[in-house]
Amino acid sequence: MSLALSRCLWQVLSRQTASLSLLGENVRSPWFAPVMTLKTSVPLSAEPKKKKRVDPRRELIMRERLRKKLKKLEKVPPELIPIEDFITSTKCLDEARTRSAAKLSFEESEGRALLLKEWCRYKQEQHMAEVQAIESALEAQREALEELRIVSEELYQAALKPDPLLFPFTHEGPVHTPPQAKYEAPEGKYNDITKVYTQ
Amino acid sequence: MAAPCRRVVSRPVIQFLSSFSRTAVGKTGFRQFSSSSACRVTLQTQDVMERATSPYSLVAAVCLQRLPVISADYKPIEQQFRDMMLQMELEKSVLSDHELRLLEDAERLRRKLADDYDSDEEGSHDDQEIVLAQDLEDSWEQKLKTFQPAPRVRDDLDKNLNSVERCLADSLVLLAEQQVGGEKIWLLPQTQWQEGETLRQTAERALASLPDAFPPTAAGFKATFLGNAPCGVYKYKLPKAARTENSVGTKVFFFKAILSDSSPSTAPNKSIMWLKKSELERYLKPAYFMKVNRFILNL
Repeated sequence: MSLALSRCLWQVLSRQTASLSLLGENVRSPWFAPVMTLKTSVPLSAEPKKKKRVDPRRELIMRERLRKKLKKLEKVPPELIPIEDFITSTKCLDEARTRSAAKLSFEESEGRALLLKEWCRYKQEQHMAEVQAIESALEAQREALEELRIVSEELYQAALKPDPLLFPFTHEGPVHTPPQAKYEAPEGKYNDITKVYTQ
Repeated sequence: MAAPCRRVVSRPVIQFLSSFSRTAVGKTGFRQFSSSSACRVTLQTQDVMERATSPYSLVAAVCLQRLPVISADYKPIEQQFRDMMLQMELEKSVLSDHELRLLEDAERLRRKLADDYDSDEEGSHDDQEIVLAQDLEDSWEQKLKTFQPAPRVRDDLDKNLNSVERCLADSLVLLAEQQVGGEKIWLLPQTQWQEGETLRQTAERALASLPDAFPPTAAGFKATFLGNAPCGVYKYKLPKAARTENSVGTKVFFFKAILSDSSPSTAPNKSIMWLKKSELERYLKPAYFMKVNRFILNL
């Protein structure tokens, strides 16, 4: 009995809602007035259940976007290390330091120009001699490798292999005076004031 | 017009002929290495037949160089240029701190010695007045004089051809007196190649086997060999009497090495000599010297 009653009520209600949806929102039946007003107001038009699921995701996405923007702003290019040789210190521009420029006589300046030209010629000859020496050494090596190849292929291949133990190769260059046999260098300490830059 | 045409026409003809002869006789790789020496023609036929065992016996030699220890003296033009550059740089420069101090001290001294000297005007310069810049310079000079550097040039050592410490400003090459074919001649130390070792190992053996080359305690000549490849070759044929089928001559391959550290306390022995490049000609045979001179750089 109660089941049939509820079924009838349900049918009535559905009929009402169908007629409502057909006719539009303006039709207000006395049964559904408060419910209708509830449904048409804007902030309450979204379903509350779906809002809960999307919100944390949206918040996370928003936070990540903000973080990325912050990182981009913080990415400053590293400061360039100044080359101290290229910076003229203001001490050198002091006027009190200028030397009295000595005037050169005509012969002196001529002599300097001629000496520069001679030096240029001398250096060129030196360079040409060096280049020739290197070329003849290379030619000698090429011939040697040719002859070795004629003699035996495996020795030739062994000769072509690079020597891993050769590098790093160090040799102390020529000094002004030869080293003394029993020389004790005087002890002393120094303060290293070189500036170290970190990027 | 006619000449280039002839050349163009003749080249493919020559190539055709050579390829024909190549395929006919069977010589494959040797045409490329052909040069103008006449003995090569006979050599090639032999090489083809004995590809694995060449008729030349192999010998490896080592060219040990002691690089200069002190800087060379200036040549006259270099000295002139150096003086001129120093002068020019001095003119273009500004006064340094030390020079400014010298000038100030001189100025102050001049004012002091002048008649109208008022010490109150100077202010408190008591601590600076004690040490003048000039005094500092004098003390530095005195210190320098107490240091005696070793002499750059020692004539007695320079004349001793056997010592490794002669002519410190030039690079020296080691020569040894060895027995070759019945006579003793001066040449770069060499030994015969043995089976199963590379030529560089032969060269190392040649260096190690120099007579009296090292004292019993130390390792003697510490040399760094520059790579596995030979830097030069010298081949010679034995005189006709000594020639056999298997040995027509010898090929000597040279390897470069740099003397890293020699114990100078070794008594110089007469069988080795250290020579500058200019002195090599006197002691080496002419043909040998011509080949060796090419790769010994005096840079």
